[in-house]
Amino acid sequence: MASINSAAAAAATPVAASMPKRPGMLKRLLREPVAAIAFVLVVLLIGAAVFAPWLAPTDPFDNDLANAMAVPGTDGLLLGADSQGRNMITRLLHGLRITMMMGMASVLLGGLAGALVGFTAAFYNRIDGLLMRLMDVLLSFPAILFGLAIAAIFGPGVPAVVLALSVATVPLMARIVRGAALVVMRMDYIEAARSTGMGDVRLILHHLAPNCLSPIFVFATLRFGQVILLGSALSFLGLGAQPPLAELGAMASEGRNFLFFAPHIAVIPCVLIFVVVLAFNVLGDALRDALDPRLRS
Amino acid sequence: MLRHVLQRLLTTIPVMLGVLLIGFLLMQVVPTDPAIVRAGPTATVELVNEIRRELGLDQPLYVQFGIYLWKLLQGDLGVSIINNVAVTQELSGTIGPTLELMFASLFWSIPIGIALGTIAAYWRGSVLDRAVTAFSVAGGSVPVFFLGLMLIWYVGFQWQLLPFTGRGGPLWTLEGWQSVALPALTLGGTFIAPVARMTRTAVLEVLSAEHVRTARAKGLSESAVVLHHALRNALIPVVTLIGLQIGFLLGGAVVTETVFSWPGVGRLAVGAILSSDFPMAQGTIIVLSLGFILVNLVVDVLYVALDPRMRGH
Repeated sequence: MASINSAAAAAATPVAASMPKRPGMLKRLLREPVAAIAFVLVVLLIGAAVFAPWLAPTDPFDNDLANAMAVPGTDGLLLGADSQGRNMITRLLHGLRITMMMGMASVLLGGLAGALVGFTAAFYNRIDGLLMRLMDVLLSFPAILFGLAIAAIFGPGVPAVVLALSVATVPLMARIVRGAALVVMRMDYIEAARSTGMGDVRLILHHLAPNCLSPIFVFATLRFGQVILLGSALSFLGLGAQPPLAELGAMASEGRNFLFFAPHIAVIPCVLIFVVVLAFNVLGDALRDALDPRLRS
Repeated sequence: MLRHVLQRLLTTIPVMLGVLLIGFLLMQVVPTDPAIVRAGPTATVELVNEIRRELGLDQPLYVQFGIYLWKLLQGDLGVSIINNVAVTQELSGTIGPTLELMFASLFWSIPIGIALGTIAAYWRGSVLDRAVTAFSVAGGSVPVFFLGLMLIWYVGFQWQLLPFTGRGGPLWTLEGWQSVALPALTLGGTFIAPVARMTRTAVLEVLSAEHVRTARAKGLSESAVVLHHALRNALIPVVTLIGLQIGFLLGGAVVTETVFSWPGVGRLAVGAILSSDFPMAQGTIIVLSLGFILVNLVVDVLYVALDPRMRGH
């Protein structure tokens, strides 16, 4: 078996070498200036979120009432301070961290569960109809309703928001994965792998899933932006992150009470949410264009 | 057509029952005992037990669910823990304002969205098209509350043009219009982007269809081609997609109502959850879900009614 494999590989090599080298995904993506800017922004934002505790100049809960509502530019406070005199830069970095973690957790959890459903539906014809009907039902409810219901049951908090957004992500991912998997299932190499007597799980993990990765990746990127928007809205309503925890939506909600005296407390977190969502949306669109050969000119 | 409606109605019933079951179970897992709440803090154990019997809480769960459904059919959703008012009574006053807000938002945002999408599709690849596309990507990234807070800050506070808290009256009064203006601008503002994007895709598709080429070939004016032959056909998918976006609109409505203290269902729901008023929270969530199922049903039927090609399926 091994010798056949290596022979096949040897036979394939010259063909591959003689083909014109296709530019890498990243290169193609970065050729668009807007996409390149979005990519850099996303990298910076993730970096800021990951390293927030080390980047932040002060402790996020350190309040100094003498500086309460200090406007941006006050000495030592580039972006001012919030209603309790906490440094806005520190709060924003930690807020970004919590908000992005909330989004990441929701996309990962919901995405994994959705991918599982999608692959199962595509692979096992018998339960396909039932599974997808169930997904349709889930899909027919807006995410905000899951947010309200789950916050009502378990009480407001970050876990409730993550659970709600995960549940709302499952049917979307299931549809994407099923669609992609059905195309791959028709390929000859799946038939070939099956004829070697490979088990279902191995077949799905080694041959089906790797070939469905690009639509999954594009969807996850775009979904991340939507989830951030929904999660920060739930926190803004008071159903998500609870004070004094720094979270961008919760910060905007807190700042809303001081809108007429110190608008920067609410506006800066809002702008940051907008930038995060916009960067992921633009990057997701660009990824889709770069990965989908049908759209490439 | 009638068969289709009936079929859809039948498939909706299990979903509705599922929602009610989840709503019912919600009350089982929350940490408050309604009998103790109703009996008050000084009640004896005997009194609590008696109330428990009265409310049917000593029965098995499926019997309780039956009782719950029966009460629901009679319009009884329980009593608020906070102010002892019947949930249905409180709810009935909030449905109107929520519908009002949604209507006022769609009223201005749909025409603008459709116009932008059509312009972008007609001049495909032009600066205009790219501007509309950029606008819809950016517009789809703005948090609803950001838009709301900005409108409050500028229009309401700095320029003092319009009121920004509460509802002034019904839509047919001047106060009503003034008070709904900012909330509707906020909610509608987030809706333009998706409508424009969907319209652009739909019009692009229709513009390359053969009947449009025929219309051009027989010498019709460009405006006649675009408005009567392209846009009219493109509107079918757009109407459906707008219907399917009602959920998105609902989410925005909950936030908008909270920002502007608009007395709607969403604000009532959020307030009930934050104050642990479980019967009220349950009632609002059930009403929102059922309303939502109903909208989906109407959109589905409308789709078939609008597009004769769908009738055979």
